[in-house]
Amino acid sequence: MKVCTCLVSSIFVLMFSVYSAGAAFASDGKTEGIINCDIQNQPCVRQVAGGRITFDIRPKPVKAMADLTFEVKAEGVNLSGPPVIDLGMPGMKMGPNQVKLKMTDTGLYQGTGIIVRCPSGRTLWQATVHLPGIGDAEFVFDVVYD
Amino acid sequence: MDLSGDTLVLVFLTTGFTVGFGHCIGMCGPIVISMSLNLTAGNTFWPQVLYHTGRVATYSLLGGIMGVTGSFAMVTSGIASIQKGVLVFSGILIIFMGVMMSGRLTKLACFQSGTGVQTFFAKAYGSLTGLKPTLAYFPLGLVLGLLPCGPVYTVLIASARAGMEAPDGYSGFIKGMVLMLAFGLGTVPALFAVGRLAGAGWFKKRQLLYKAGSVIMVGVGIYFVIKGIRY
Repeated sequence: MKVCTCLVSSIFVLMFSVYSAGAAFASDGKTEGIINCDIQNQPCVRQVAGGRITFDIRPKPVKAMADLTFEVKAEGVNLSGPPVIDLGMPGMKMGPNQVKLKMTDTGLYQGTGIIVRCPSGRTLWQATVHLPGIGDAEFVFDVVYD
Repeated sequence: MDLSGDTLVLVFLTTGFTVGFGHCIGMCGPIVISMSLNLTAGNTFWPQVLYHTGRVATYSLLGGIMGVTGSFAMVTSGIASIQKGVLVFSGILIIFMGVMMSGRLTKLACFQSGTGVQTFFAKAYGSLTGLKPTLAYFPLGLVLGLLPCGPVYTVLIASARAGMEAPDGYSGFIKGMVLMLAFGLGTVPALFAVGRLAGAGWFKKRQLLYKAGSVIMVGVGIYFVIKGIRY
């Protein structure tokens, strides 16, 4: 039992040390390369299933901790239902944060949601748009923290 | 995953459990660890139980408020400055505990017995980390339950939505509260395990590791303070 406690405690101390060092010196610089959507300036477009999906968030600038309108426009594709957006941070589990969209016009879906602020200071967020009958489209972008 | 209906409580209980072993260990872990390291071996159970009870109680109350108002943005903007203060406070607390662990604090003149400052800090420290009163960990949990945290915010959004869908304010309060209670309870096993491991007698007997731990604590505390100031 004592050996087991020693082993587990040692592993724990080692893991915590590494984690603390990593957390303290983590930088957004390592993740800047994965941004594929300039949501602060323009809607983002993906080619899917022979058509295209346009993703946008308003108002601009896109800020965390504020009510936002999410919009998905489907052109040249037939969705079997309204899209659902999963919001999260790349490489960090934040819990399920979903935005359910409703059709407001032909091929146009809108819904409201909130991007939360991470105390780590990281501003990189990912919206995974689930397109029923088609698949998923991922958009990685920066948000603004006040 | 469909986030609606009666399964929502189970979803967020599970979320709390899984997030607890990742995100929460990074955010709340240093606080729990510093508390455990400053307790005598064999006396880590009840302080931790009280701390987590306080923390989950704050989560539940916040969830209830979200449920009543149905507005995440309004409530969080109202408590933003408090959360900033709590983040800085938690950093100072961790630094203080780290310095106490290192044994350096007693060598400082201002902490020598007989001075007013020493009495103040001794009482404050005793209230927060000492054996008497163990009950001090409950209000500490209540306060630190306000720490800004991404996953907590996420569940608060769900609580606000549940409140919006509720037929009246009372139902909204209960729905929001239950969601946050489920999430908070889900996070307890991970943080409790971390606290128990850090409080293991074996670790405290290894002076070199113990001193190294105190240095890490001070570093993490400074990191918390900086994050709090920038938040």
